[in-house]
Amino acid sequence: MKKIILSILAVGLVAQSCTKVSENVYDKYPASEFYSSPKGADIALASVYAQVGGNWDGVGYAGADNGWYDLNSFSSDEQVIPHRNTGDWQLDFAQLYQRQWLPSFGIINNTWNWLYKSVYIANLAVSQLEAAKADEAKIAEAKVLRAFFYYLLIDDFGNVPFFTDNNVTVDKLPQASRKDVYDFIVKEITENADKLSETKGGAYYGRFNKWAAYTLLAKVYLNAEVYTGTPKWAESLAACNKVAQGSFTLHPGSANATSPLGYQYYELFGDKNPTDETILSIYATVDIVSRNILTIRSLNGPNFMAVYGYSGWNGTVIPEDFYNKYADNDIRKKQFLVGSQDGGVTYTATISSLDNPGAGANEGVRDTKFVPALPMNGGGASNDFPIFRYADVMLMQAECNVRLGNAAAAKPLVDAVRQRAGLGALTSNPTLTDIYNERGFELNFEGHRRQDMIRFGTFTQARGVVPAVGDFRKLFPIPTNALNANTSLKQNPGY
Amino acid sequence: MKHISLFKYGLAVLLLSLCTLSFAQTPVFSGKVVDETNNPLPGAVVRVKGTNQATSTDANGAFRVTGSGEAIVVNITFIGYDAIEKTLTANQSLSIQMVPNAKSLSEVVVVGYGTTKKSDLTGAVTTLGTKDLNPGPITNPLQQLAGRAAGVNVSQTGSEPGTSPSVRIRGITSLIGGNDPLVVVDGIQGNMDLLKQLPPSEIESVDVLKDASATAIYGSRGAPGVIIVTTKKSKAGKTSLEYNASASVDVNSKTLKVLNADQWWEQAQLYNVPAETNHGSSTNWKDLLQQTGSTQNHTVAFGGGADKFNYRASLTNIAQTGTVINSKYKNNIGRLTATQKALDDRLTLTMNLTSGINDATYSPPSIGRAAFTSGLFNNTYVARPTDPVLNPDGSYYTDPNVFQYINPYAVAKTVINQVHEDALFGSLRADLQLTKGLTAGWFGSWRRLNTNTGYYLPAKSTVPSAIDNSGIANISNSHTDEKLTDISLNYKADFGQHHLDAVAVYEYQSQTYNGNFAQAKGFINDLATYNAMQLGDLTKVTPGDISSYKNDRNLVSFLGRVNYTFANRYLLTASFRRDGSSVFGANHKWGDFPSASLAWRIDQEDFMKNQRIFSTLKLRGGYGVTGNQQGLLPQGSIRLVGYAGATYFGGQQITNYFVSQNENADLRWETRKQTNLGADFGFLNDRLTATVDVFTATTSNLLFNYTVPQPPYPYGSIKANVGSLLNKGLEVSLAYQVIRNSNTTLTLAGNASFLKNRVLNLSGTINGIQQNTDYIPWGANAYLIKGQPVGTFNIIKHLGKDASNSETVVDQDGNGIIDQGNQSPDRVLSGQALPKYTFAFTPSFSYKNFDASMVWRGSGGNKIYNAIRANLSYFENLGKANVLQSAVPLGLYHSQYGSDLWLEDGSFIRWENLNVGYRINTKSKYISSLRLSLTGTNLLVITKYSGADPELIADGGSTMGVDNGTYPRVRSFALGLNVVLK
Repeated sequence: MKKIILSILAVGLVAQSCTKVSENVYDKYPASEFYSSPKGADIALASVYAQVGGNWDGVGYAGADNGWYDLNSFSSDEQVIPHRNTGDWQLDFAQLYQRQWLPSFGIINNTWNWLYKSVYIANLAVSQLEAAKADEAKIAEAKVLRAFFYYLLIDDFGNVPFFTDNNVTVDKLPQASRKDVYDFIVKEITENADKLSETKGGAYYGRFNKWAAYTLLAKVYLNAEVYTGTPKWAESLAACNKVAQGSFTLHPGSANATSPLGYQYYELFGDKNPTDETILSIYATVDIVSRNILTIRSLNGPNFMAVYGYSGWNGTVIPEDFYNKYADNDIRKKQFLVGSQDGGVTYTATISSLDNPGAGANEGVRDTKFVPALPMNGGGASNDFPIFRYADVMLMQAECNVRLGNAAAAKPLVDAVRQRAGLGALTSNPTLTDIYNERGFELNFEGHRRQDMIRFGTFTQARGVVPAVGDFRKLFPIPTNALNANTSLKQNPGY
Repeated sequence: MKHISLFKYGLAVLLLSLCTLSFAQTPVFSGKVVDETNNPLPGAVVRVKGTNQATSTDANGAFRVTGSGEAIVVNITFIGYDAIEKTLTANQSLSIQMVPNAKSLSEVVVVGYGTTKKSDLTGAVTTLGTKDLNPGPITNPLQQLAGRAAGVNVSQTGSEPGTSPSVRIRGITSLIGGNDPLVVVDGIQGNMDLLKQLPPSEIESVDVLKDASATAIYGSRGAPGVIIVTTKKSKAGKTSLEYNASASVDVNSKTLKVLNADQWWEQAQLYNVPAETNHGSSTNWKDLLQQTGSTQNHTVAFGGGADKFNYRASLTNIAQTGTVINSKYKNNIGRLTATQKALDDRLTLTMNLTSGINDATYSPPSIGRAAFTSGLFNNTYVARPTDPVLNPDGSYYTDPNVFQYINPYAVAKTVINQVHEDALFGSLRADLQLTKGLTAGWFGSWRRLNTNTGYYLPAKSTVPSAIDNSGIANISNSHTDEKLTDISLNYKADFGQHHLDAVAVYEYQSQTYNGNFAQAKGFINDLATYNAMQLGDLTKVTPGDISSYKNDRNLVSFLGRVNYTFANRYLLTASFRRDGSSVFGANHKWGDFPSASLAWRIDQEDFMKNQRIFSTLKLRGGYGVTGNQQGLLPQGSIRLVGYAGATYFGGQQITNYFVSQNENADLRWETRKQTNLGADFGFLNDRLTATVDVFTATTSNLLFNYTVPQPPYPYGSIKANVGSLLNKGLEVSLAYQVIRNSNTTLTLAGNASFLKNRVLNLSGTINGIQQNTDYIPWGANAYLIKGQPVGTFNIIKHLGKDASNSETVVDQDGNGIIDQGNQSPDRVLSGQALPKYTFAFTPSFSYKNFDASMVWRGSGGNKIYNAIRANLSYFENLGKANVLQSAVPLGLYHSQYGSDLWLEDGSFIRWENLNVGYRINTKSKYISSLRLSLTGTNLLVITKYSGADPELIADGGSTMGVDNGTYPRVRSFALGLNVVLK
């Protein structure tokens, strides 16, 4: 009997000492400890910027595919990827151009998810920086970044869920009106812009400095009428004038043998965006930080192979009517490829079919605005991407002036942009159409076109053979997945 | 020593008496009892009919009895064999061969933390002995089980050397919590990997615990069922040296038929494909990549035993050459097991040690052009038959006009994909008898698995990423360390009609996983492959090229079981287990898993004595709760900050970190509640036996990555316990010994199981908020839909084609738009990916030294989305690829849909194997038995399915029910040899 008792005792003792089942973490950091250090707070801010660069799975503002850039560019009239009669390319891109998207579209879902993950990370950064009592400028920077994401959200989706504290449950997360979020964005930028650094480039390359914040504010005001019904042209102009205090100039555009495509103009889209003109950039080094697929995606395999050593994707083309608007002596027309090319490829301007049965392999004008910068490979190049640049701001100033009835003040601004591109000055004061067209010529492939088309009322009109669509298409639908996950969300009208 | 002395004295007395008797000239009757393979059977009991005289056979199976007159009749019995009556003639020795029982009630069944007699089972357990396992060119023990047990579905996708089949016991238990059964080898617990490290010919028996009353003893690891493997041990008083070998020739059974060069060009002209895409060769890519494979399996096993000691050692070599070039597998396994008794036989020590070394060269698994990636072999279907293999300069041909062109022959010849595994596992068990009936036990096991993978993708392979990077080399290492220890108390007692058997166990498991990965790119030549990564271009290092990881889990368990029997008729088993696991949320580390089951042996009742219909009749019923946790990776419940690539900040590239998942402190056990009712029947003195089981099992707190709204969550899904799954099933096994005598046996056996599976719910409350999850993609056009089986096809209906030969489909809601979204009203529910039923027919026959057996098995009620056929059927691709011959009559140019045109019936019947054997009688001094056999495997498949093979992964995972092309399945013909030396 003694043995029994002893052994039961032994079992009990061993059992007592080995009943711990707590988790050990060896290869990650617990979130609670990580962000509370000053270093962690910096990383919280850096990780918001990591969201901006484009990468696979529809992540990022621009540079890769299937995300925000594609949604806002292919839905406009400046570029499209037709389905090819070789079986290549899914229909989504052509359907975006035709404005026949459905709420179940992957690109719409990706954009929504990317933006809300970005808001979450920005919220996290704000709260961690505040908790760490970080430098005021850094807190302001995180808040302006968050305002940037909300601006992109209301621009695409209208009324959207709004939160600034991550410890919120979905029942306490109402769908805020476009106007309310607009008000928040304006307030947030106005309160924080002056706290930001005025430094251009260096440690602030690719970051929101004071000038980037005011450009953002100018953009928000510029589209205020679309967002709220009330125009804010004077406020937009004022914000542009703030940007002008940053002493930006137009980067030279003239011929130069060592520049991409032989013109200094194309240095704006090279490996590092020149800071004389560029206000906010996405930094890219392919496979490391972001990427830039815009040119390899456009050119046909053998053509890109012959010039750059990798097989092109034979995707993006410039719709013929958009291409035809460019004057032949426009430096900006040099970005397009049409006719016989290296690699034995001849591009033809006309696209015979967008979806069924699809375009022939070499149909469509191709684009090399972003002449691939090294390092590069079959997954893209390392060109940085200008989110905001001064030419855009000058055209915004011009637009506000025209809309405020001061077309004379607009003329030198538009002329400067035209003359840099090798064109002559306008013969008379610019009209809104002149500005709309000039924005198209100057800013194509830079993600602005859908917003501009909506503001100028051309977005839902017919394009070539593609018929006009209903006005409700000015907003994208809230993705099906988001609606299913949060049943309190209300779909945009028309979908 | 007491026993030995008694034995010796007994023998002496016996011999003495025999001598005395022989002096008296009494007739002597002698014989030798042998088993079905002519091996002596020591210890068989020989009774002389009509007398009280009895003896048992000696170590050589020999016996002598005395009697009066010319002849006597003896009755011989031995556990596991049919009793036999023979007439012996005086002074003429006779060799008596015994026939194994079809079904032995006295058989011992391993039930986890103990054993029981088969007749005392209360749960649903299938026991398979050596004779019940599939023969032939076996490389993984699971192949031995295919078709052998009702409710146990073993399926193999393709025949790539080194890959293991998947097994599902009673359907799909879980979505992400793991559906692989727990594997227990001589007490060592592990995952399916453990089976791969076992030599198939060294398996003595396999017990499959199916219902929850049986598996609840394994608590949180028991939900998907348990496979218990017992390896061969040596018998006391017997030494043996055995050699087992089989060698097979393997050929591809069915592959897809694509157009040849002439047919391709004929179609190309019809579809106006530009002439410059015809490169004028005639290449049969499939033939270039396929070859005749072989499988060899050799095992030498030896062992012996004395009264207090026995051991067995074996060495196994398995070598396989695939039917696709550059794919092969080698596995070498050494095993040693020894048992020693001490302390006056009160202490028994058992040690097991297994070491396995295996090397595999795999065919590149996921390779191809942007729109279609699959196993390498399937790229032979894609390649144009008019493309040359080589350029005039001898380099591999590629076509720059085709996006991401690959040359499958170049890939097969130049890509290196090698996996080396070292497995070591061992255990020690000590059982100490404390008092009569009370035993204390200690068990410890340790398992190590080191895997080293080397991969080299040279630029000359023509794979685009390899060309981009001038070659990619990587090495990954992973280490698994699993330790288990338990302490147990076991009590057995009889009080009159009452029998009690109780066990209490404390168990601690600790598992650690760590590893690393390194990659280099940019090689000036391909000489060093992955062996010198420093020769790569270090400027090409990108984030993700270097990484390492480590995580661990531990599991603490307290468990107990009571078996109570009254009057040998009424049986009760009750068990309880409490598990604590580190992988769950802070609020739910512990779970309780109770079970109870009852059985009634009606055949033992007095009122059954006079009936002759039933020789066995037993009713069983049980209920149990089991859990699931092994599928969950550690750290799933906490919010962690991990590596997130690089970012640019402050004017420089820096490492980025981010929260890697949504946290959930409520992450908890999945709970599977199962009720089982069963009956065992035996008719005609057990010549006809049947087992029927019905069960219903509900998995609640279903682990899944549930959809949560974004915002506010940073990720669109969270690992949580919300939904529930239902499985209902019926299992029937039948065996009929049509002929049973000492010369001839013919047994017709078979089993069938029917399974209904349904997703009860995927929505519920997470962190206090109602969340909706439904229509989650789970396969190609298959979904998880509330109220439907896991992997239900919800697909757009094919209509026809339009003037431009583009596919048209049915616009179900008539709104003019075909919506291909997951919940689109244009989709129609169209069947399920999981088979509704599986069945097998396993007849066996023997006549004297000749034996034959077959396995036919099949499954049905499921659909397969034939994605590879869809991919290879559009003529718009003809300019850059080939199409199937079956595409010609369809004449589809293009389709924007994945319609039900490609959804096919997946039912099949497979003639799994035919095995014939002959035992050669030998008078050799050295050879005690010699058997030759011939096995044909995968001889015939009857199916409507148009793909290469209808047997696809049906594991419940998110890739099931779709055929993206597999490694070809082989048909093989094997010659087997079994020699036992004296």
